[in-house]
Amino acid sequence: MTLTSLFRNVSAAAALLAAVAANAADKVVIYNWSEYIPDGVLEEFTEATGIEVEYNTYESNEVMYSKIKIQNAKGYDIVVPSSYYISKMAREGLLAKIDQSKLSNLKHLDTSLLNKPYDKGNQYSIPYTWGSTGIGINTDEIEKSSITSWNDLWDSKWLGSLLLTDDVREVFQMALAIQGHSANTRDPKEIEQAYQLLKTLMPNVLTFNSDAPREPYMAGDVNLGMIWNGEVIMAQEEMPEIDYIYPSEGVILWVDSFAIPANAEHKDAAHQFINFMLRPEIAARTVDYIGYATPNKDALELLDEETRNNPIIFPSQAIISKGEFQEDVGDEATALYNKYWEELKTSM
Amino acid sequence: MTRISDPRAITGRLFKWLFIGLVFVYLYLPMAVLVTNSFNKSKYGHNWAGFSLKWYQELFDNNAMMQAFGHSLLVAALAATAATLIGTLMALAIHRYRFPLKSATSSLLFVLMMSPDIVLAITFLIIFIALGIQLGFWSLLIAHITFCLPFVVITVYAQMKSLDPNILEAAQDLGASEARIFRVIILPLMAPAVLAGWLLSFTLSLDDVIISSFVTGPGFEILPIRVFSMVKVGVSPEVNALATLLLVLSLTLVAVTTWLIKRQKNQ
Amino acid sequence: MKAFIANLNFRRLVITLTISWLSIFVLLPHLMVVGTSFLTADADNFAIWPITLDNYLKVLDDTYAGVFWDSLVLSGITTVIALGIGYPFAFLLSRMTPALRAILLFMMVIPFWTNSLIRIYAIKMLLGKKGLFNLVLVSTGIVDKPVQLLYTDFAVIFGLVYILLPFMVLPLMASFDKLDQSLLEAGKDLGANAFHRFRHIILPLTMPGVIAGCLIVFLPAMGMFYVADLLGGARSLLLGNVIKNQFLVARDWPFGSAFSVFLIVLMGLLLWLYYKANQYVQKQGGMDDQNL
Repeated sequence: MTLTSLFRNVSAAAALLAAVAANAADKVVIYNWSEYIPDGVLEEFTEATGIEVEYNTYESNEVMYSKIKIQNAKGYDIVVPSSYYISKMAREGLLAKIDQSKLSNLKHLDTSLLNKPYDKGNQYSIPYTWGSTGIGINTDEIEKSSITSWNDLWDSKWLGSLLLTDDVREVFQMALAIQGHSANTRDPKEIEQAYQLLKTLMPNVLTFNSDAPREPYMAGDVNLGMIWNGEVIMAQEEMPEIDYIYPSEGVILWVDSFAIPANAEHKDAAHQFINFMLRPEIAARTVDYIGYATPNKDALELLDEETRNNPIIFPSQAIISKGEFQEDVGDEATALYNKYWEELKTSM
Repeated sequence: MTRISDPRAITGRLFKWLFIGLVFVYLYLPMAVLVTNSFNKSKYGHNWAGFSLKWYQELFDNNAMMQAFGHSLLVAALAATAATLIGTLMALAIHRYRFPLKSATSSLLFVLMMSPDIVLAITFLIIFIALGIQLGFWSLLIAHITFCLPFVVITVYAQMKSLDPNILEAAQDLGASEARIFRVIILPLMAPAVLAGWLLSFTLSLDDVIISSFVTGPGFEILPIRVFSMVKVGVSPEVNALATLLLVLSLTLVAVTTWLIKRQKNQ
Repeated sequence: MKAFIANLNFRRLVITLTISWLSIFVLLPHLMVVGTSFLTADADNFAIWPITLDNYLKVLDDTYAGVFWDSLVLSGITTVIALGIGYPFAFLLSRMTPALRAILLFMMVIPFWTNSLIRIYAIKMLLGKKGLFNLVLVSTGIVDKPVQLLYTDFAVIFGLVYILLPFMVLPLMASFDKLDQSLLEAGKDLGANAFHRFRHIILPLTMPGVIAGCLIVFLPAMGMFYVADLLGGARSLLLGNVIKNQFLVARDWPFGSAFSVFLIVLMGLLLWLYYKANQYVQKQGGMDDQNL
């Protein structure tokens, strides 16, 4: 057996496997945040449509993007990127256009969350959930009224005690908000200023966590820092003293949307899946399960009073208009953000 | 028999078992946390909320989790078997045959064994992309076979060196073919080392996080990847239940093996 | 003649398999990483021409000096602790009956069937402010309020030793197995006390195992990004974190490769030292060689 014949055999085996996969009965391969879909929903989808579901999970937008890129936008049929990754991926040709005529349940969505700058006309993405990044606090340990703004985190009494999310854009967004700049700035000067400000915050930081940020709060290791609103909802199930504060400079808003990779093999099944998830009763269950808000306006009526009026899940209009949604900032600015991010984390 | 009454020997033995006991406490402490929390009603396990079996119920209802675990076991078993097969042949080649690049071959095995997982992970990722192998089952299997190989080779090779060359020569003189010598004489004598190599490979494959997270792909998710990605909601207690079941199963295996060995001895 | 050809075929098969597997899945990929480290990063493709040394200049940048240093120190401490636990452990195990030894070794391996990531999560619970360690510390009055164990270097070392201990024990066991009992008896007969026997017979003869164990703990420890991610504090500590970031987050493959090349070079250096040490031991003790 020579090297080339081995090469050939191996690639032949791989091709064979790929062919088998492609010919398999109707199925849809989902690549999503883990447990970002309520229990039982996938089974109901299979029952309703006869389409088998394969559920794979990722831990960050970056990892999802890398995998899609590596595999040339093939292999997965549904991905759930955050807003700013939609525009980036669409621009790079990694996403397929969505055929809205196949989505009869689109009418349930709140139009204020459609047609956003990161995806004009929703050609590539259909919003699934949205949420915010604000300040998390353990009110048993710290007086809630004493914290009102991002700026309060810079107080030197928090030395070595804060949690920040492990997300470059969110952390910079916080500093940019304090300085009164746009969260989506591409201006190198503003980014550098934010970096300088963050550098002075670093002594206060105990840990970065995008791996369930509520955990350190619940374990008593952290009493103050950044957190996602849905995490607070989940933490409150067992520890009501963990609370959420909308910082006065403006909260960080984000949307996670369904999208279909450009070379997905089961595009039709993917559309059926999105349409299924847009059903109001499914959307309502999603809110109950994951604690993030839904863009589905008809689902709101199905939620119980308490959930619907929970300001942590559904912030007031005033807070939304003061906050800023994340958008793509282009490759150049992204590289700059990443460079400063690395410096923050390595040279303290 | 004088040693037993010697007080120094007794304290020595005490210290010995104390030390061994402490090492095992260290090794099993995290397991104890997992077992305890698998019965904890609390979802997050920071406080004891009462005894409950619900996580076991949910584990059996959670197809995706069981499937990921099944995939992990499948990859581990296949990778261990293939690595043992290939590794044993490699050990044979290095022990018995002369060929060009022999010393380079053993150096490569050493490199493979010592390489930090993160380096192996990116080398695998790069080669799979270059060869156009889709990330998924095959990439995972090839990577796992490869990183297990040196451990098999070193285990089997160590035992091969204790082979009596006279037996092999005698067999050769009697006209036995190389394949036959390997199958009939060498392999049976190597059985304990081969078994040890398999076990080690199986363990390494189940334990791996870093390499798997780089070379995994659509349609074939294994347990560590699933656990690693439980970020927006945290690691679910079903994982604890799974770990507990696995622990009980493997400890039973040890107990049964011990019993069998004892019985064999008594007979 | 037929037998000769059959033998040739078996031999050829075995040798070809060995060489081709290692070339395709070990040598070639390592060379490709080295190659990639000289290329230029690109957002759309993983790496493009032209050839450049920039990645290496960046590696040597001040920003990363701290990471290098931290990695070396943390891995070094991990190695020393693992050796401190592993050496006596392997020694004691090696003197037991084969059956008991097999059972204890098996017991050591069993926790590793539960993926290490899951066990690191469990360690996280142990070390937290509400964890078992703090519970014991507070209830015994050693400290009056819970101390910060999690998110410290201590936690990272605790986790690294935990994950890597068996890799220290196994090569040590192999060395102890080869210890010739008659040498020890001879030493005893000649009046050497326990310390002398250890210092002049056991230690030199098990040196290859010690070095092998240290290498197999020290090098991989620098890559264990998930241990530092989950147990460590805000600062990136291990080279593994930086490499993973470059590959999966920043997507600067050439730069990430340059870091890996640094690790590969370090590994080569240490392997060379190991080889030299082996030669030395052989000369000294006439012991069976350990290298393949």
